[in-house]
Amino acid sequence: MTESGAQLFARLEARRCLKDIEPRLFPEDGGPNHGEVVELYGPEGTGKTELLYHLLCRCVLPVASGGLEVDVVFVDTDYSLDMLRLVSILDNRLSAARSAGSPSAAADEAVLRSCLSRLLVVHCSSSSQLLLTLHFLETTLTSRPGLALLLIDSINAFYWLDRSEGGASFARQEEKLSKCAELLGRLLRDYKITVFATCHAIRRSYSGSSSASSSSSTSSFASTSTTESDKPFLCRPWQRLVTHRLLCSKQEAPKNMAATAGGSKEQKTRQVFTVSTASSSSSSKTKTFRSSSYYVTDGGVEFIGPNTKVS
Amino acid sequence: MVVLREGMCPGLEEGLVRDLRAADIKTVEDLVSSDMEELAQKCSVSYKALFAIRRVLLAQHTAFPVSGADLYEELLSSTAILSTGNPSLDKLLDSGLYTGEITELSGGPGSGKSQVCFGVAVHISFHLKQSVIFIDTTGGFTASRLLQMLQTETRNTEEQMEALQRIHVFRLFDVYALLDCLYSLRGGGLQQASVGGGSVKAVIVDSVSAVISPLLGGKPNEGMSLMIQVAGVLKTMAKDFNVAALVTNYLTRSGGGEVQPGLGVSWSHIPRTRLLLERVDKAAVFSPSSLRSATLIKSSRQRCHIRAEFDLKWWSRSEDTSSSRKRKLEETDS
Repeated sequence: MTESGAQLFARLEARRCLKDIEPRLFPEDGGPNHGEVVELYGPEGTGKTELLYHLLCRCVLPVASGGLEVDVVFVDTDYSLDMLRLVSILDNRLSAARSAGSPSAAADEAVLRSCLSRLLVVHCSSSSQLLLTLHFLETTLTSRPGLALLLIDSINAFYWLDRSEGGASFARQEEKLSKCAELLGRLLRDYKITVFATCHAIRRSYSGSSSASSSSSTSSFASTSTTESDKPFLCRPWQRLVTHRLLCSKQEAPKNMAATAGGSKEQKTRQVFTVSTASSSSSSKTKTFRSSSYYVTDGGVEFIGPNTKVS
Repeated sequence: MVVLREGMCPGLEEGLVRDLRAADIKTVEDLVSSDMEELAQKCSVSYKALFAIRRVLLAQHTAFPVSGADLYEELLSSTAILSTGNPSLDKLLDSGLYTGEITELSGGPGSGKSQVCFGVAVHISFHLKQSVIFIDTTGGFTASRLLQMLQTETRNTEEQMEALQRIHVFRLFDVYALLDCLYSLRGGGLQQASVGGGSVKAVIVDSVSAVISPLLGGKPNEGMSLMIQVAGVLKTMAKDFNVAALVTNYLTRSGGGEVQPGLGVSWSHIPRTRLLLERVDKAAVFSPSSLRSATLIKSSRQRCHIRAEFDLKWWSRSEDTSSSRKRKLEETDS
């Protein structure tokens, strides 16, 4: 294939490395390197999309406000991107950064616009469209050297459609996602971008009920980090791409809290989300782990303390 | 999957399609993913021509990236928040149903799911003067109940009829009919329904679980795929036409015994906002009460597990309670 000088330059010029995108999520010195894939895995309502917003904000915010100032592509296969929520998080971060400095609110609006213009959103409604869109994004990648992050929410959105369409043959069922994964692999090698993708759990976690019946187990989830429901289920080519796997979970809100709350506005304990990361970096063959917890507030994700252990 | 046909784009002629097929290139995806140089040799066509074809096909079938700034601008001008007509529900939902999103009501039998749907439909058609699509899959829809609700709003029969005309009802009892209906609505039916009066602002499916749950027993792949298709068309319709989608779901009990919305984990990601409706049982009272409680169990805007009580009679302040209700209404107005 022919390649113009500008394209070659965009391809080979070092894109921003996102190793420091969120140190609190990854093992020490184990952030995602150039061309690595991070999977956020968990059942509904465990803060996967919220974490994506957090990372997205970190990337598009200007350096002065604690951001990285890089371009981001958000591939929305679930139609889950809530722009209003994203803007409110950005707003919060900007005003927090502003209180330290000086400027006015009018300038903030302009900064917000410039942040949002660093974001590209693509909506896909089938896996073949996803594949074609990834092909198309290659031209976007060549034209925007500032583009360093690709977010996919979620990678398994078309899982059941593909399974059904593929008929009896397992290879055909997985064909499209495999092709997407292969293409993504090539884009990662050629353009050195970083990918974060969410993956929904497709099986109900039974760990909760089993621990309830067997009286011996005391802590509900810390011990059962990889239960049956957490097993990767997507096709092999995708599994091979993933170097970091973030398991998302939330601590169940105490039942009596919800019951006593009523209509009154009393202070309730906040829901705590936990994410445990397993990284297998390319340099060392060993796996490293880290777990951290956070609240979700109006201003987005707020990590709890510097400690890595959750009691 | 898009099969290659002649005339899809300039340069893609019958002979070339045949040659491509011989080289095992049958779909647009195949063509786009294949090595252009190799393929040009195999089909004895110039590399340049083939590359041009690839580019056009790609542009035809890709989803285009939109700048976040533009998307936000568009969203600000197009998003509407539709009040449900009930202040306590509105409070839970952060002032109402948002267009472009799916909101789910889950609850057991008699928890008031359908009544809330009726109330919302009446409120949108009468007060907001917008059209509503009501898809009834359980046979539970009764026009007389809607009329009853409207009668408490106005005594003017003409106004009542106008409001009723803005509610378009579809009665379907299986998932294929539902998909057909949703696809045809997305493919232009929504604009047609908008002709008489306001534009369609809400699509209500009561209930979505009634047509989907029978599928989940047999062949899992097929059932799941149909479920995701229903979800997909609802989501794209909500986004593209700026309508609020309101669906109802039943409840199941998990292995641990706690109540959870039905249709399993794959569905659980679909609605953006979810309310759990329950009866409020006061042990002493045995007469059926219209008091219900709603708990917010999923939301990206508000803290979850907020609970509020509301009265189903709110939408139809029936004769015996009308005076007290009216007083309450006046209080809230002033």
